[in-house]
Amino acid sequence: MAEQSAGGAIYFAILGIVTTAFGLADLLVTASGSEFAYGGILEIPGDIFRGGWGGIILLFAGIFYLSGIRNFDDIHQFAKVVMASILIWVVAGCDIFAMITESIPSSSEETGPWFNTLPDFIAAYAPPYAPAVLLLPFSLVVIYYIRKRASGEEGSGNSS
Amino acid sequence: MKLNTGERWDLIDRISKETVTFGAYRHTLKDAIGELTVKPMTGIPVAIAVMYGFWSVFGSFAGFFTDGFFVRLFDAYWLPWLQEVFPGQGEWLYAIMVDTGGIESGEFVLSSNCLESFGVLTSGLFVAIGVVLPAIIIFYLMLALLEDIGYMPRLAVLLDTVLHRVGLHGYAIVPTILSLGCNVPGVTATRILETKKQRFIMMTLLAIFIPCGAQIGIMQDVVPDLMGWILLYLIIGYFVFGYILNKIVPGKAPEFLIDVPPYRRPLLSNIGKKVGGRVRGFFVVAIPFVLLGCAIVGVLYQLGVIQFLGDTLAPVFVGWFGVPKETAGPLIAAFLRKDLAVAQLSAITMTPYQMITAVVLVSIYFPCVATFAMMLKEGWKELIGSLAVLAVVVFTYGGLIHLIGILLGVA
Repeated sequence: MAEQSAGGAIYFAILGIVTTAFGLADLLVTASGSEFAYGGILEIPGDIFRGGWGGIILLFAGIFYLSGIRNFDDIHQFAKVVMASILIWVVAGCDIFAMITESIPSSSEETGPWFNTLPDFIAAYAPPYAPAVLLLPFSLVVIYYIRKRASGEEGSGNSS
Repeated sequence: MKLNTGERWDLIDRISKETVTFGAYRHTLKDAIGELTVKPMTGIPVAIAVMYGFWSVFGSFAGFFTDGFFVRLFDAYWLPWLQEVFPGQGEWLYAIMVDTGGIESGEFVLSSNCLESFGVLTSGLFVAIGVVLPAIIIFYLMLALLEDIGYMPRLAVLLDTVLHRVGLHGYAIVPTILSLGCNVPGVTATRILETKKQRFIMMTLLAIFIPCGAQIGIMQDVVPDLMGWILLYLIIGYFVFGYILNKIVPGKAPEFLIDVPPYRRPLLSNIGKKVGGRVRGFFVVAIPFVLLGCAIVGVLYQLGVIQFLGDTLAPVFVGWFGVPKETAGPLIAAFLRKDLAVAQLSAITMTPYQMITAVVLVSIYFPCVATFAMMLKEGWKELIGSLAVLAVVVFTYGGLIHLIGILLGVA
């Protein structure tokens, strides 16, 4: 159990560092007023809303991860790690929702078709992705720890 | 039998020993997360994320329906069809109901989109159904979700200290956020505040600084890049003038006690009822005002009243507020329909800073007729007081924004 907790702490420490770095990168790119793309998979938006506001949230998420890893077994500390993941889910969820809403209607003006063609629809989900979307699968690991903790509490008969 | 104080406490002890089970309470994860969202150090980042999610989903959803479908439906099909079948092109009824059009080289020219036609059946319907309806539905859906999850009381606790600075308390967040949907239920919700002073401050602030869903929807559609700056100016104004009002308005601003419930899974039936009721209310109260306002603006334009007022007040708009002369007409018409006024502004050529100033002026300029009527219902003295504050705010804040622009070299 203790080894697994240590594993979790290390995992979320690394995730926290990466998330903080992404948050800072978001803010820097927004401040520069341009967009940033890397390797065809990562794209940091330069607009004040997704880049600036979203970047601040990612930065907070990173700080929450890093502050939550000390004494990881404590429920209040663990809650910070969960909250950090929730912050990433909010930003990534909004990015994905925006992708969905943009992919359905046709982009052609006036009297063209109402809906997007299938190739364009699929292309809307192709990379590059925003940092929060890239962080999303890694942040989902917290669900494993929530379940593990819940089963541990049930096992010890102390589900409050 | 008469018990003294000590005996009463002994009795209480005996009863509690028999009825209450004592033990150590272990915090659950839900409890711990609940605490995190109330403490300022962790709660403020969460509030920032919640607001981000709120506006991001709002923008995506409203954009999906408005830009994706309604713009095309109205501009490519509805407007050309009406322009063709409605009789009396160029006459006053045609101008009011369908299209005011324009004159190019001495000839009457039809508008190319519903934001420029200003007819009741074109601009009026487009704004009401194509722009406002999707914005209102998603706004109330998100609000109902936050309420049912149990986040709103936490937001009230979190903002309590800040709102005390403007003479309000945490619960003032309810009318504030409701007003972002429609100012009318926002004015009604001011009744949850205890004192006359609080209600007056809240009503005044929301009439001046809180743009309604219709206005936000149209801003999102026509000036999306400038929305952040416009909202920033409105938020700053909300707190600065709230602080001043708190200092000069006599009366008390008491503390509040709130029971923060645990986080709960939202019930679909609850959310459905809330959203359905609010959207129905919006339809009954606001949609007739959109159409009626559009008709009255059309009539006033046809009679030359707005042109006259615009020309008369143009020196104030140009000299004091730093906006082009052409904005005077839409700013006058904003009394009837703020959303249409924003749409009219978008058709005028001006610098981004002038556009920010003009849209902020539309927001703070005067409450719409529906809000005006609602405020009158709450008391005519309060209404007159609010309007007096409003007049001062428009001139000082409008001039201040112009001054900031001059100092930054962007005005």
